[in-house]
Parts: sequence; C-alpha cells; structure tokens
Amino acid sequence: MTVKLKSRDEIAIMREAGRIVGQTLEQIRTMVQPGLNLLEIEQFVSDEFRRVGARETFRNYVPNPRYKPYPSNICISINDQLVHGIPKDRKLKEGDIVTFDLGATYKGYVGDAAITVGVGQISEAARQLMRVTEDSLWAGIRAARSGKVLNDIRGAIEDTIRPHGYGIIKGYGGHGVGRAMHEEPHVENFRQRAKGVPLRAGLVLALEPMVSLGSPDVEEGADGWTVSTKDGSLCCHFEHTIAIREGQEAEVLTLA
Amino acid sequence: MAGRGPIEVEGVVTNPLPNALFAVELADGHEVLAHVGATIRMGFVKLLPGDRVLVELSPYDLARGRITYRFK
Repeated sequence: MTVKLKSRDEIAIMREAGRIVGQTLEQIRTMVQPGLNLLEIEQFVSDEFRRVGARETFRNYVPNPRYKPYPSNICISINDQLVHGIPKDRKLKEGDIVTFDLGATYKGYVGDAAITVGVGQISEAARQLMRVTEDSLWAGIRAARSGKVLNDIRGAIEDTIRPHGYGIIKGYGGHGVGRAMHEEPHVENFRQRAKGVPLRAGLVLALEPMVSLGSPDVEEGADGWTVSTKDGSLCCHFEHTIAIREGQEAEVLTLA
Repeated sequence: MAGRGPIEVEGVVTNPLPNALFAVELADGHEVLAHVGATIRMGFVKLLPGDRVLVELSPYDLARGRITYRFK
C-alpha cells in the first residue's frame, strides 16, 4: 500500500479546497426547506464553483472502470438513499433527511465533505440518527493523532455508533485524499483485524461514517450509482477531510 | 464521495507464477495478478490452473488481487 503524505504547502492548498467545500455546504444548508428542487442545488454549486475558481470534482468522475461517469457535481441522497444520489427533478418534503456530499478541486487538490440536514420538522428517530452519526465522525477525528493507527479511528467511529443499535454500512467508507479524490488507505467505519497504517503528520483522510436505522445491507440502484438500504431504513452520512498533525489534534480542512 | 472497500469477484486460475502468485481470469474477461491469501495457505489448499476462485480486489488497483477462496 502506498500512502502519500502531503507537504505543508500541499496541505495549505487542500485547506483552500476544503474551505470551498465547507462554505458551499453551509450555504446549501440554509437553502434547505420543503419545496426546494434538487436541480436548484446542483445549479447553485455550479455557479458557486465558477465564482471561486474551483473544479467540480464529481462531474464525470469514474472511481473504476465498472462505473459510468458521474453525471453531476454533487450527491444528494434522501431518506433511505445512503450515498451517490444523483440530483433529479425532485422537491424536498417536510420530514425528509437529505445528505449533501460535495467535492471541490482547487489548484489540483481535492476537498471532500458531506452533511445531512433535516427538512422542516423531522422525527425524533431521524434526529437521533443524525446526531449519533455526526458524533461518530467527530470521535474519529479526535482519534486521528500522529502515533496512533488507522484502527484507532475505525474503533472510535464504531464505538460511538454500536451502543445505539444502528447498522454500520459495510463496503463503503473513508479514504485518503490528495490530488485524487480516492487515495489509499480505505477507512472502514468499524474495526478491522489488522491495525492499519500508522497515522503520521501529512496524512490527509476523508472520514465518512455511514449509519442505518435498521439493517446495514445496501444495494446499488438501476442508475449504476445510487446506493440505498436494502430494507428501506433511514440512513445518514457525514464527512470531513482532515489533515493529521504532529503533537496535536487533526486539522479539519472542510470547515466553512 | 464514499470510497469503496475491497470487492470480491469470481475468476478462474490460468497460470501459476513464482512466489505464490497466480494469473487469474475474472468473469468479466480481465486478467489480474493475484497472490494466495493467508487463509488459503493456512488451510493447506493447493491451487491449480482451472480452479474457480474468489479474488478480492482493491478499488485502488484493479489489476492486483488476493485469492480468498477456492471453490470445490
């Protein structure tokens, strides 16, 4: 496994890319209300990226040859859709929980983050699911310190989620980030048998816990991209790109 | 966007290579370089050309894999 460590200068650029993602997502959060059309959000991202000089990382992205190019600049996944929902002509409804997953490429480097937002009044179960998922992301971030290993991050995420009885999605997870959106290592959201790569300064990771209210089993839809829970359970996803630092907590690059 | 974990695919062993490596032809026609997984070694399983196997591929390098199971 070749893990690319980033220099201070590279991380400075990734900080810019991350800030663009963070700010755009926060603006999207304020736009969320019943009746909002997903295509308006896609248009907003397009305009915003053009304004700040960022490239749409997701547009035409092919993670591996088995996939068709991704047709949009953002993933919008509603309720039982976990990730990679393709924006279509559809309006948000009261009670929906929506996940926006966004990537920006700035000066050649990628920022990747995701937020889940409730539309209007949502159920207590949905609110709790979102809170636990976001908490697990921050637990993972706090565990990301130089000198530890990848399993410490996976364990922190898992240990936050399991006590609630939620399902942790398998097969999808966090990843290294750099000039490419997906780099080594892959970061599962639960402990593995092997300790995983040692965490060192210069390692940039996207942590993204994915949690289901019910079963953790998911399936890919007919469009070749959208991933949904098999049993139709509500699911949630939060993501930040972080840079591991020496002697202190990891820096979150995708804050607004 | 979410990263994918390792993907398991079926294939057929074509050539044995040195150092416990095998050329395996996958169901979709691609040929990959696969090494013998630890569980196979621990089970003292021998692999021969023509064996149907499960190969675990990393999304970061689809040309290499790990043989994790040999079908009867």
